[in-house]
Amino acid sequence: AAPVSAAVAAAPPEGAMSNGVYVPASAANGDVKPVVSTTPLVDFLMQLEDYTPTIPDAVTGYYLNRAGFEASDPRIIRLISLAAQKFISDIANDALQHCKMKGTASGSSRNKSKDKKYTLTMEDLTPALAEYGINVKKPHYFT
Amino acid sequence: CSVLSPWLCVTVPCPQRSGSKHTSTPADNYYLARRRTLQVVVSSLLTEAGFESAEKAAVETLTEMLQSYISEIGRSAKSYCEHTARTQPTLSDIVVTLVEMGFNVETLPAYAKRSQRMVITAPPVTNQPVTPKALTAGQNKPHPSHIPGHFPEFPDPHTYIKTPTYREPVSDYQVLREKAASQRRDVERALTRFMAKTGETQSLFKDDVSTFPLIAARPFTVPYLTALLPSELEMQQMEETDSSEQDDQTDTENLPLHMSTDDSGPEKENASVLQQNTSLSGSRNGEENMIDNPYLRPVKKPKIRRKK
Repeated sequence: AAPVSAAVAAAPPEGAMSNGVYVPASAANGDVKPVVSTTPLVDFLMQLEDYTPTIPDAVTGYYLNRAGFEASDPRIIRLISLAAQKFISDIANDALQHCKMKGTASGSSRNKSKDKKYTLTMEDLTPALAEYGINVKKPHYFT
Repeated sequence: CSVLSPWLCVTVPCPQRSGSKHTSTPADNYYLARRRTLQVVVSSLLTEAGFESAEKAAVETLTEMLQSYISEIGRSAKSYCEHTARTQPTLSDIVVTLVEMGFNVETLPAYAKRSQRMVITAPPVTNQPVTPKALTAGQNKPHPSHIPGHFPEFPDPHTYIKTPTYREPVSDYQVLREKAASQRRDVERALTRFMAKTGETQSLFKDDVSTFPLIAARPFTVPYLTALLPSELEMQQMEETDSSEQDDQTDTENLPLHMSTDDSGPEKENASVLQQNTSLSGSRNGEENMIDNPYLRPVKKPKIRRKK
């Protein structure tokens, strides 16, 4: 027992323990910026207690169950639904940018801005998705 | 934001109008209800972004992507969790999944705090149809041990229980004997009536011929002839056994010819007997009497080749 405890005691020779993370000696000097490796979103998860995302929990839970994911914590489900929502809204915003660019590209209307009615079309969606690596092929005809 | 998420580098065909389904199971309805909810969610997100309207194909595309995204997160998070010998996914698994899918986790809290937020009501939960008390019949079979408890119950037993509708055959000795006797009597009667209808008949009553037909009795001129002559079967056997002996055959042939010349005139039966004998050797007499009734014609045996 004596040699074991000596080894344990000698393990971190000069490193400082901060926040449960082992920071090496060189980092303490200021050469390397320490990366705190706590899990992100832990605090955010606490805030999700009374938050209702747009997608209902039942629907997200249904699709997660189909994939084999059994959620123990309802906040996890809300987190996933938030992430999915953000994914789609990012794409929607990109498509909106494309739509606005097309509208004012020719410089037709200088006096009044483009009318506020934007319609999401496949022509706007396709380049927005292409930036994400998703290629959408629209058939020229409908059966 | 040109982040390439590796899981989506595939060509996604634009979803078209699906063919109309005439029958939809409760599972399909379940699935469709949630799909519609996703569509509503996509529409609300688009409205938040600033769109007034959208193409149907675009909404369908985004719905499909949303569904795939959620499923992929679930599958990937489960894989990561099982990779570390756990069964319950935790926050870390999901964070790693999102990072692997190219999602910027840092921006999520900021997104959550955005101002315009819409809440969609969840689709209604339908219960399983329960047969009313008045229609249930009998006890439902309980689940065997290998079926989990949350599975639906077995249906009413009247839906699958079979009852055979045959009766046991009667095996009483007396009844069987009676049956056999009556069957034999019926067979005899039918056969004699048939013979009477197709052959010559004598009737007991003068005027009424058809009521009680009796098979006509035609006496032989030489009654003992049929007893002396060998039957066809015996003739055939004799032919096969002594193949080299021609004399025996001629003797047998001569015998009936000799007999017939004794008679006053060849009767029908004699001629038919002669016919049978001569037909065995393969030749026929000139005085053939073809009987019209096909059922009373003599049996035509196939020509047998004699081994020499």
